[in-house]
Amino acid sequence: MSKYERAALAAVALMLLAGAAIFFYAPTDYLQGVVQRIFYLHVSSAIAAYGCFAVVLVGGIVYLRKEMPEADRVARAGAVVGVVFTTITLVMGMLWAKPIWNTYWTWDARLTSTLVLWIIYAGYLLVRRMADPGRQAARLAAVVGIFGFIDVPIVHFSVTWWRTQHPGPIVVNDALPPAMLGTFLFTLACTLVLAAVLIGIRYRIETLLDAKLHTSAPAPIIPAGEPETAR
Amino acid sequence: MNPFRVAMAVARKDLRSEWRTRELVPALAQFIILALLIANFGFQINSDNTASIVPGVLWFALIFAGLVAFGRTFAAEREQASLEAMLMTPASPVAIFAGKAFAATVLLIACEAIMLPALALFFGTNIGFDTILAVFVATIGMAALGCLFAALVARVRARELMLPLLTLPLWIPFIIAGGMAVQTALGLPGSYDEAIGLLIDFDILFVVLTSLAARFVLDE
Repeated sequence: MSKYERAALAAVALMLLAGAAIFFYAPTDYLQGVVQRIFYLHVSSAIAAYGCFAVVLVGGIVYLRKEMPEADRVARAGAVVGVVFTTITLVMGMLWAKPIWNTYWTWDARLTSTLVLWIIYAGYLLVRRMADPGRQAARLAAVVGIFGFIDVPIVHFSVTWWRTQHPGPIVVNDALPPAMLGTFLFTLACTLVLAAVLIGIRYRIETLLDAKLHTSAPAPIIPAGEPETAR
Repeated sequence: MNPFRVAMAVARKDLRSEWRTRELVPALAQFIILALLIANFGFQINSDNTASIVPGVLWFALIFAGLVAFGRTFAAEREQASLEAMLMTPASPVAIFAGKAFAATVLLIACEAIMLPALALFFGTNIGFDTILAVFVATIGMAALGCLFAALVARVRARELMLPLLTLPLWIPFIIAGGMAVQTALGLPGSYDEAIGLLIDFDILFVVLTSLAARFVLDE
């Protein structure tokens, strides 16, 4: 078993444990009932998504400054994983909103900014697919990653300015009973491990793809004087 | 070389070329009129609901006109391969970028000068100074972002597809605040001052960010 397989196995086991804690350890919410259990993974994957996009941001900045292909690969890996976690956050949030708010979607600050987040990084991935791989594409993507990361809090802030109905940050407000808080923190830790493992695996894939394309690596030096071999 | 003079020279060149060919502004003006025509059939507009529909029509028309305009910003340079020539001169890439951005902004403002009277004419809305100011303030930041991404995708395949994809989500803050500003200017509830204040904040933020990023966009 390679180290990637071992890490993946550990991450899956941790997520199963988190699932067990969510369904069997955490108490059922008095008001919302069993639907409230969505909260644990919903908030955890939102935080994991932000973490992934922070990786994209740092990767982009490092790439622009140092032109290291590794930084660009990390950014690419972060973007893929981040979009997955944002999708999970959005879908789970909608499932929660239907019974609680009686609608799947509302143009609330957090929902709007999460949707914009998803659009920006889905666009980032499309750009990576459409642009010919190489320095130009990596630079373009780095700028998109940096601007995207800045844009999201702005969207959030400017919608909050006028309207919001999303539940406030109850974790930091100390409003969770200890069993719920414990479950949440455990789920959060497991989700972050999963995100890190996924980024690691994706980084490996990107390295292999780059090696296949010979794009991030400098062109091989052909010794002078040798006749060009037919391919 | 004085970067300010370089920027002005590039902007003057772009504006003169537009003045001689007269391609972009008439095309965009026609595009805007068509957008208003479509809005007229898409909505049931009467004297009661103009205030709630017109701001949306205004931003839709402006955004898509803007995308077309910024998509064309680097088109002439690409067709003649003159961007490479400009970059070979000792002029700083940031100054060249600033000049192109300035010219594109002026052209977009020219389109707005057509759009706002057309809105007032066709929909019977009262476009006052407040609306004009909001649109103008939003244009500055949107133009900075639009030009940055136009320059970024200028030498990339499938650029027509990528420019809207990248620019539109980043324009959303301007649409949020600008939409609010125009809505309140047309008499809907809300605070105009807050909205215009936010727009100015966004302008400052994105103009600064774009000028920081411009260095990585054109130098090759």
